[in-house]
Amino acid sequence: MPGNEDTGRRVRGVIAAVVVLAIFVAIPLRSRGYLLQLGTDTLSAVTLAYGWNLIGGFAGYFSFGQVSFYGLGAYATALLVLRAHMPWYFAALASGLVGAAAALVLGRIMLRLRGILFALGMLGLARILEVVFNNWHYAGASVGLSLPAVLTPVAVYVGMGLLALISFCITAYFVYSGFGLDVMSLNEDEDAALSVGVPTTRVKVIAFVLSGALPAIAGGLTAWNHSYIDPTSAFDPGVDLLTVVYVMFGGIGTLWGPLIGAVVLMIVGEEFLVYFPNLELALYGIVVIATVLAFPGGLVGLANRFGWLMRPIILAPKGLPAGAPPERAPPRGTQPVLEVRDLTVRFGGLTAVDRVSLSVARGETVCIIGANGAGKTTFFNAITGVVQPTSGEILYFGDPISHLPTFRRAQRGMARSFQIPRLMPSFTVWENVLLASRHGRQSHRVVEHTAWVLHTMGLAGMWRDPVSRLTPGFQRQLEFARVLALSPELVMLDEVMAGMTREEQEQVRGVIRRLPEFGIAGVACVEHVIAAVADLCDRMVVLDFGRKIAEGPPGVVLKDPVVVRAYLGEPI
Amino acid sequence: MLALQILVNGLLLGGLYVLIAQSLNLIFGVMGVVNLAHGAFIVVAGLFTYWFASSTGINPLAVLPFVFIVMALVGAGLQPLLIEPLMKMGRSKAELLSLMVTFGLDYVLVELALQVWGSSFVSVPYLQSSWKLAGLDFSQALVVTGMFAALVSALLYWWLNRTDSGKSLLAASQSETGAICCGIDVKRVRMLAFALGVALAAAAGVLVIIVEALAPQTADDLTLLAFVIIALGGLGSYVGVAVAALLLGVAQSITGYFVGGNAEYVLPYVLLILVMVALPGRFRRA
Repeated sequence: MPGNEDTGRRVRGVIAAVVVLAIFVAIPLRSRGYLLQLGTDTLSAVTLAYGWNLIGGFAGYFSFGQVSFYGLGAYATALLVLRAHMPWYFAALASGLVGAAAALVLGRIMLRLRGILFALGMLGLARILEVVFNNWHYAGASVGLSLPAVLTPVAVYVGMGLLALISFCITAYFVYSGFGLDVMSLNEDEDAALSVGVPTTRVKVIAFVLSGALPAIAGGLTAWNHSYIDPTSAFDPGVDLLTVVYVMFGGIGTLWGPLIGAVVLMIVGEEFLVYFPNLELALYGIVVIATVLAFPGGLVGLANRFGWLMRPIILAPKGLPAGAPPERAPPRGTQPVLEVRDLTVRFGGLTAVDRVSLSVARGETVCIIGANGAGKTTFFNAITGVVQPTSGEILYFGDPISHLPTFRRAQRGMARSFQIPRLMPSFTVWENVLLASRHGRQSHRVVEHTAWVLHTMGLAGMWRDPVSRLTPGFQRQLEFARVLALSPELVMLDEVMAGMTREEQEQVRGVIRRLPEFGIAGVACVEHVIAAVADLCDRMVVLDFGRKIAEGPPGVVLKDPVVVRAYLGEPI
Repeated sequence: MLALQILVNGLLLGGLYVLIAQSLNLIFGVMGVVNLAHGAFIVVAGLFTYWFASSTGINPLAVLPFVFIVMALVGAGLQPLLIEPLMKMGRSKAELLSLMVTFGLDYVLVELALQVWGSSFVSVPYLQSSWKLAGLDFSQALVVTGMFAALVSALLYWWLNRTDSGKSLLAASQSETGAICCGIDVKRVRMLAFALGVALAAAAGVLVIIVEALAPQTADDLTLLAFVIIALGGLGSYVGVAVAALLLGVAQSITGYFVGGNAEYVLPYVLLILVMVALPGRFRRA
């Protein structure tokens, strides 16, 4: 959860952290021996925890197979040192590239899965790799590989320290940048993120590649440090358990959590293990259960309750600037904003939308009405790319866009609202709007545009509040603000009036009337509350069982006997 | 004849898989929880049976009812402690967090099993020979355990579809809200499902150790095997899972014969990823 912190406190916090870290780094260097080994292992744990946190914490894709990259990195380093006679530090860096390349390929396949399936798919992947390396003779098969026992513990320690520092910096970038906001939006609501133009696949693959490269380098350094690698230790699922425990215990999806979790548990574990030599993993199992059940935010979550270690609001200026309206872009050609020709959508045997055509001219507001199940929302989903049409053509300013993914359509200025607002629940108001601004047509002036949208929509007074604190009415307004943030040319509204009070409807009607002054060339809306839109729209289209049964000015359409029979009901 | 023999072996193995997978499926269907400690329950029950049968000389199958009841109680005790608190958080969040909790539980059980029984593979020496029929070998252990597994699965199927308590469980798995509106105590149903799932896993463990050697560290392989089967059979579908279990048994028997033991071992994981990637639509929830 993001929060407000003054800069002075933040600076003091960072200085304190640096001092603590410096002490922490210096002790093992002076004492050598056992403490140096513990220090190296701890830094490796910190790196693994940060790596896992990028994909599991920020993107919300829990992986029980990140150890695959650790193992691949260990083997890559061992093979490069033994077979290519590379110096160990170059080999470890090259292993990072191997890990990144593997994550790039695997990510494109595995990240199509969500939730449980991704988690277990990754677990299966680690098992497959273990079997492969168990039988690959070039890599020593089940015996493993022995590296020359050249002891360079101090150099490895420093290397691992640098790696942990890099992991920290990458995570800091996630916490402070707009890109980080994109990654976190996946964890909040991936479909809604697509609809505001976030290229979700690219974003999660980047996060996954980083979260594969870091453990690969750590694995490489560890292989060199231990002078030995075998399939069982390289792909040990216990490593994944420990990594998950560190992240959960410290605080998942936070900047400081993985560091705190790994350091605390490594030191506590080291003290504990003397008394329970064989129960290490069982104790960590209990720690993860207790953390999830008793304090899901981990130690950082506990600190947040006292206002410490809060995530900053991303790209938030000190005070909300006045903002400025977008410059008007010159009108593009003379084509209609939207032209849909003979669009058909079939789900199995059901034809949800049957050869429906629709056009929205410049400056026009078109309203689609129809009974429940008439195919209105499916029609919208096909236009925005959420559903693949079976046949038909969609032209946007004369360009065919059927092949474009949802996020590209949003980026080009086709914005839609959802029937039930789908905001990013743990983001602030500012961040929700900013996310859309980043990918819209005003992405070159994100902060000014976001500020302008917030002022325009009457949300300036609550810009730093988390969404969970807004009333349902303001949540709808925020959903509308997000549409404006894309700086769209075509706005598609899906039942915005549903379940609203009279006053709220009046407010939304006011905004719809003002849409042209925001540079919006056309509006298409699906609506049930006919009275609320009849006077707003220029044309009405009536769908019934997926077919278009009438079209024309609202006054005419609403009196059409066919429409009255299909939709409004017959007088008895 | 060889082909037929491979098929028979595969089907017998598949019969055992039905039970291994159905118990995981039951818990997933009702709660959306993939119990990652599933394999650990199988292993613990199996190793207990080994210990009990070898130290008393009692028929291992006679231990089954006892293990079933004890593990049902264990499941009934664990569910309110570990799973129920997550159910308030909404389905998708609970799904992921329950993975974490059962991942932790898995390690607790496996480490304890390692402490008690060590890490060597053991099996109960029972029904070692085979019956010859129409020129085919029927391994006695596989036939008997397969029949037991089929019996338990059939009882489960009958219970789910023919009794009030079973039907209320099915109802809760289809719509929690709907079930509440029909006066079903969903909390109790969830506890029942978890208890039953754990008990069935334990029953499977008793049978598995008669057929093949187990060690605590095989727990995750069994969990993943069960998950592959329910993913193949369509998450939550009882008939689909039974068919998938038999098919996997046959597929493993074929690869085991023609390619070798490693391929047989890896096959479920390769299938897991292939199936999930090739049929992504089936696994995406709206």
